[in-house]
Amino acid sequence: MTGEEFVSAGAGEALASPAPAVRLSGITKRFGSVVACDEVDLALERGRIHGILGENGAGKSTLMKILIGLVLPDAGSISIDGVHQQIHDPLVAADLGIGMVHQHFSLVEPLTVWENVTLGEVGRLDPESVRNRVGEIAEQYGLVIDPDARVGDLTAGLRQRVEIIKCLRRDPSIVIFDEPTSVLTPEESVQLFDSLRNVVAAEGRTVVLVSHKLDEVLHATDDIAIMRQGSVVDRQSAAETDAPSLARAMVGREVSLRSERAALGLLDDELAAARMNQATMNRADPILRVRNVSASGAGGVTLLNDLSLDLAPGEIVGIAGVEGNGQRHLSDLLSSLLPLAEGSVEMNGQTIPTGRSGAMARAGIAVIPEDRHDSGIVLEMTVAENLVLFDQSRVARHRMLDRGELDNFAREVIKKFSIACTGPDAPMWALSGGNQQRVVLARELAKRPQVLVAAQPTRGLDVGAIEYMGERLEEAAGDGVGVLLISSELEEILDLSHRILVMHSGRVAGEMGRADVDIERLGLLMGGAVA
Amino acid sequence: MTAPFATQTSQARAGEWFVLYGLSVLGALLLSALLVEATDGDWRPVVNALLDGSVRGKGRWGETLGAAGPLLIVALGTVISGRAGLVNIGQEGQLFVGAAFATYLGFVIGGPGPLNVVLILFFGATGGALWAGIAALLRYWRGVPEVLSTLLLVTVGAQLVAYGLRYDWLLLAPEGDRGNRNQVSEQLADDNRLPRPDLFGNEFPITVYIAISLAVVVSIVMARSVWGFRIRMLGRNPRVAQVSGVSGTHYGATALMLSGGFAGLAGACMLTGGAFAFGNYQLVPGFSANIGWTGLLVALVAREKALIAIPIAFVFAGLRTGSSFVGSTGVEGRVTDVIQGLLVLALLVPPAVMFFRDRHRARVAAMGRV
Ligand SMILES: Nc1ncnc2c1ncn2[C@@H]1O[C@H](COP(=O)(O)OP(=O)(O)OP(=O)(O)O)[C@@H](O)[C@H]1O
Ligand SMILES: [Mg+2]
Repeated sequence: MTGEEFVSAGAGEALASPAPAVRLSGITKRFGSVVACDEVDLALERGRIHGILGENGAGKSTLMKILIGLVLPDAGSISIDGVHQQIHDPLVAADLGIGMVHQHFSLVEPLTVWENVTLGEVGRLDPESVRNRVGEIAEQYGLVIDPDARVGDLTAGLRQRVEIIKCLRRDPSIVIFDEPTSVLTPEESVQLFDSLRNVVAAEGRTVVLVSHKLDEVLHATDDIAIMRQGSVVDRQSAAETDAPSLARAMVGREVSLRSERAALGLLDDELAAARMNQATMNRADPILRVRNVSASGAGGVTLLNDLSLDLAPGEIVGIAGVEGNGQRHLSDLLSSLLPLAEGSVEMNGQTIPTGRSGAMARAGIAVIPEDRHDSGIVLEMTVAENLVLFDQSRVARHRMLDRGELDNFAREVIKKFSIACTGPDAPMWALSGGNQQRVVLARELAKRPQVLVAAQPTRGLDVGAIEYMGERLEEAAGDGVGVLLISSELEEILDLSHRILVMHSGRVAGEMGRADVDIERLGLLMGGAVA
Repeated sequence: MTAPFATQTSQARAGEWFVLYGLSVLGALLLSALLVEATDGDWRPVVNALLDGSVRGKGRWGETLGAAGPLLIVALGTVISGRAGLVNIGQEGQLFVGAAFATYLGFVIGGPGPLNVVLILFFGATGGALWAGIAALLRYWRGVPEVLSTLLLVTVGAQLVAYGLRYDWLLLAPEGDRGNRNQVSEQLADDNRLPRPDLFGNEFPITVYIAISLAVVVSIVMARSVWGFRIRMLGRNPRVAQVSGVSGTHYGATALMLSGGFAGLAGACMLTGGAFAFGNYQLVPGFSANIGWTGLLVALVAREKALIAIPIAFVFAGLRTGSSFVGSTGVEGRVTDVIQGLLVLALLVPPAVMFFRDRHRARVAAMGRV
């Protein structure tokens, strides 16, 4: 711990050695009974990339929001380049050259990429120069994107690129990334941070990376600060540490092999083989049949193209594939959000009308959507209310909600799923990203579904929660639920699935059992190379 | 971005609201005073007239309460559609059509007896609901935004009722009963009117009690009932509602029609409650007397909270009855209109300021200017 050293650093010392780009001292922020930041002392040097690790709800996002003036601290001070600053408004932070890429998207869907990039700007617009600038940044950081694409048509990964470009366009000298790579592929993330490293070193900039991916943090950063329950509990140098010790510092105990594996993306072939045996034994009649479905979106774009798949009770089927190949629409279809042009969806032999409000849910299909803010939660409602969005019967009497009952139910779930919040009445927007995800998981499991669609279910979760999510999915499968795991992270799919389907261009391009996985063939299928 | 602006403590926010309201009302009063002085008037008698007209004068607060009732009922309907994420701005028309429905059926089916009053109120609500139902149909069948359709239906409604008032097989009173007026309905019989009990020398229809009870009911239904829960879900995140089986068409159309129903009920209450400004128990052109528009403002200022709408409705009613007295001070009529407008604006400014400030903060953050 180096906290004291930072507190005692006075003006005299600051003169001797160059002051750090950012110095946070004694930053405290309370939300009701929750202490999101508890006297945090942290210095961020120029020319370095700083990693910040911590469990869901540790206070990482709050600390970063304080730095850019979105949240006002209760106590503590901030100095930038040795000068004390009062950052009470994001505009002040902007003037100081601080930029941030937020954990959740804030793009305007009907607008194009370049329009989104210039939003909020004053003065005359020169579309051509903006487009050029987007191109420059895209090239420099390996974030290739079409400036004229409509954001609404982009995949999560591409939207993330837009967010990053939006931030980098202003050349901030202090850049904060709050979980930017949860939707980027590992290669994209490596390229982004390699290019950032060059700029950081050459121009003396400062980068902060908040992430749950230990290997990424080890790779991309120089110094790592670990937060637990609002405090910085440890600092390590990326060069001298490894994933297990980071995980231990984060959680405060030894982390089991499994979560380490998930965090590191390692595979356990023995375990997988064992699971495969069990799965082949359990193979029963399919419960969910998706038959030759096709759908097209605005302007006749093909979303799903003659896609078929079966899902048996008790099996976990992984849907692999590069993002943007129809995975999102498959999950929309099973959420009653997408009406079909052709084909059918059957549950237990019954055809389910597509696109009819709640039809899929009533038929026993639960969905953890890829974008929780889009179709998973209602931010303005409370945690308790969000837990009963689909089914209010257990907390209602004579068509009135029984507040006491709702409260008890929510308390139980909050405890069982260790959701960090001030209580059942906390508004959903006040929860950290990972805790919002837990609410979705809890609610979908509580439906006692026959089919569970989990789209990028671990997005935003910390290592402990990833482990928990995996266990829950396996437990559900063990109870006879058919699980459809849609993920762009191959490790996750290899880790959990019994059978793997690869999606490409809105259809299933290939299939393989977990036992005969051929990584090379998988890669080719994902790239659309094999028919 | 998760509501970044909501990070202040609620206490600090309450303080801000207080200061904002204080400042903007003060500002409006100052401007009004300046205006009166500039037009060679004297501001003191104007203030006195405002107070006399709304509360101080004999029987005046009864008059104010009489106006507050329908205002509140209209606002409550607006609260419901607003919570469902719909923008109904056609209350003025729904109210008028509702009143016409109530008049017509009241006389067709009508007979003597207090039971008929209940029927008339019911017909009023039905008429308003059906009128809003057209907008609902257009929206969910053809995708026409309800902002447009409800607004256009105000004009159409007014024309339609005016047409009805020209023919005695529709709404027009029979030859002998209409004196020298040519667009007026028959007057409701004594036993077809709402009671107007006297309270401390002030007389007003029981509409006020109906409205306040409805406010409590709406507040409870929105916050506590399964239906209200689903409406809120639909308003806040229609996609989640779609996944969960809360059909936008079904719940949205219901909310819009309820909203129109409330406006129609307000119209029927004005008809049966009687007050000279509202037509003296008969339907006339211009019967709606801006109660629909003002009720919409009440809901806006109350920011979709049914209970908060109660005091706001009283304030707006007071402005209305008070400014009718200002004319007698010799200040020009148009100046009174401006003053009333300024005071209404003063009540609308704080929510707008807060809205824009919050949005600005959120946007500054969201648009990557930081
Ligand atoms: N505006 C707010 N109102 C109330 N509580 C809040 C608010 N913002 C954050 N919190 C609480 O503060 C704690 C820290 O939240 P924060 O978002 O900083 O976590 P985090 O470390 O970013 O977690 P994650 O990894 O899940 O994103 C959480 O318990 C959260 O519920
Ligand atoms: Mg966070």
